[in-house]
Amino acid sequence: MKSPLLENERFVQIAAPVFVGVVFLLLWEAVVRATGTPVYILPGPLDIAKAFVADWAVLFHSLLMTLKVTLMAFAISVVLGTAASLLFVQSRWIEVSLFPYAVLMQVTPIVAIAPLIIIWVDDTTWALTVCAVIIAIFPIISNTTLGLRSVDPNLLSMFRMYRTGRLQQLIRLRIPSALPYFFGGMRISTGLALIGAVVAEFVAGTGGTQAGLAYLILQSGYNLNIPRMFAALGLITLTGIILFALMVWLSDRVLRNWHESALKVEQ
Amino acid sequence: MTNVKATRPEVVVPMSTEQQTRPAVGGRPVVSVRDVDKVYGNGTVALKGVNLTVKEGEFVSLLGPSGCGKSTLLRLMAGLGDVSAGKVSWWEQDYNVVGHKGRKLAFVFQNATLMPWARVRKNVRLPLDLNREKGPETEQRIDQALDMVGLNKFGDAYPRELSGGMQMRVSIARAMVTEPNLLLMDEPFGALDEMTRNKLNDDLLRLWKANGWTVVFVTHSVYEAVYLSNRVVVMAARPGRVIEDVPIEAPYPRGQEFRVSTEFAGYCRRVSEALEVASRQGEEAK
Ligand SMILES: Nc1ncnc2c1ncn2[C@@H]1O[C@H](COP(=O)(O)OP(=O)(O)O)[C@@H](O)[C@H]1O
Ligand SMILES: [Mg+2]
Repeated sequence: MKSPLLENERFVQIAAPVFVGVVFLLLWEAVVRATGTPVYILPGPLDIAKAFVADWAVLFHSLLMTLKVTLMAFAISVVLGTAASLLFVQSRWIEVSLFPYAVLMQVTPIVAIAPLIIIWVDDTTWALTVCAVIIAIFPIISNTTLGLRSVDPNLLSMFRMYRTGRLQQLIRLRIPSALPYFFGGMRISTGLALIGAVVAEFVAGTGGTQAGLAYLILQSGYNLNIPRMFAALGLITLTGIILFALMVWLSDRVLRNWHESALKVEQ
Repeated sequence: MTNVKATRPEVVVPMSTEQQTRPAVGGRPVVSVRDVDKVYGNGTVALKGVNLTVKEGEFVSLLGPSGCGKSTLLRLMAGLGDVSAGKVSWWEQDYNVVGHKGRKLAFVFQNATLMPWARVRKNVRLPLDLNREKGPETEQRIDQALDMVGLNKFGDAYPRELSGGMQMRVSIARAMVTEPNLLLMDEPFGALDEMTRNKLNDDLLRLWKANGWTVVFVTHSVYEAVYLSNRVVVMAARPGRVIEDVPIEAPYPRGQEFRVSTEFAGYCRRVSEALEVASRQGEEAK
């Protein structure tokens, strides 16, 4: 006999991973205790939770700093990336001439160019933001450009028959067609913005009031405060998950009436 | 030109070149294609020496094996794409007259070609939006168009919520809302089941009569072509060309009785034989 709760897809979607997580944490705690592993090698979940509570003030402050860089980088990526895509679809020439540079930016390891950017940009927050933008912007550009080009050719013919201008074509046809692709790009981009913010801070290694979670991890490492290190790491992961979930929610809201990705198909 | 030996009911049509431009119901030419070749950029000769004149009020079907250039011909008639040789004229003038009063053209595509993100009403009003027509009068026209295709209750639905047949009706309503004079349809009912298709065929004939349209209708169904048309134009492939022009002289309104009549069967046989020849010629040219 199945319980009605297990029939509920939403419940299962949340409950199943939570269950796996709890089992994992219990095993972790058990192993750490059974083997008597010292806290400075591998702390148990309980030690990490204690660090969470004890260091909450500094953790939270660092989180805000990292979040600030991430969100700024994400916003800039969305705006600039979309603008670049709109430019690319204006003409094949522009796209052919500029797209390779977007790829170049994407394939250059951020760790390798971060030191340069940190030298060039005085303000740390902005330096980190620039680094994060460099890797977060690519999925927006490539997805949105693809989307703006993925227009039903027959609809396009119809627009031609009514002698519609480029602007009308863009607003009424290309932009709506591109939305699912755009949201797909945003999902990837949030994660990359966060990674960019963290990696750049590792490279910058600047502390002070501007210090984010990456610096906190570095510093905790030096001090062998491993539980706090794990707590900071947990926060980064949590932030990434929440941002991703937010993007999924947003795209579902916008696309739910028409796009396959957001449809609940009844069997 | 190829002669087709055929047993034809009642009508005897002399096979000659004039026949393709034979004056129909007495109307004036709406769209006329003269000695048109179409060669695509990749070298495909899609049309070679095509002549076809469609007169006011006619219902003409283009029939032929797949790849014989039906869609290409229809698109040229819609002013989509340029001819490689020859000339297409609309109301005996060039494409610039299209879109003016009494010279309006609408196209219905094989798949409904709706905007999935827009509700039915918004889809139907698209041509009006593109022409920047606004006001209460346009709302009325949208209501009328939806009424005529029997979808007045579905204005707020999204296309995906409708069946294939209903989506096709939306597509037809979108064409109707512009009050077209020339309606070009590219296998509009090809993807539908037979029941729905028959129903839409009857709807289409009714609307054609009611609105005084001129229709060019692409299909690969002999029965559909014969049932609907004044004339069935049979095409062959490689290169795409017109090989027969069969007048269907049964009176309208046509209904279920026509579908089962010997007259209908006779026409179908005649058209099928022409299609047979067309397919054979296409094969030989391979
Ligand atoms: N845009 C195109 N570019 C190149 N070849 C095309 C194009 N459209 C159609 N063709 C070719 O032209 C021929 C006629 O095509 P089409 O008009 O679609 O035939 P039909 O509608 O009768 O099936 C085919 O051989 C097809 O492959
Ligand atoms: Mg076709």
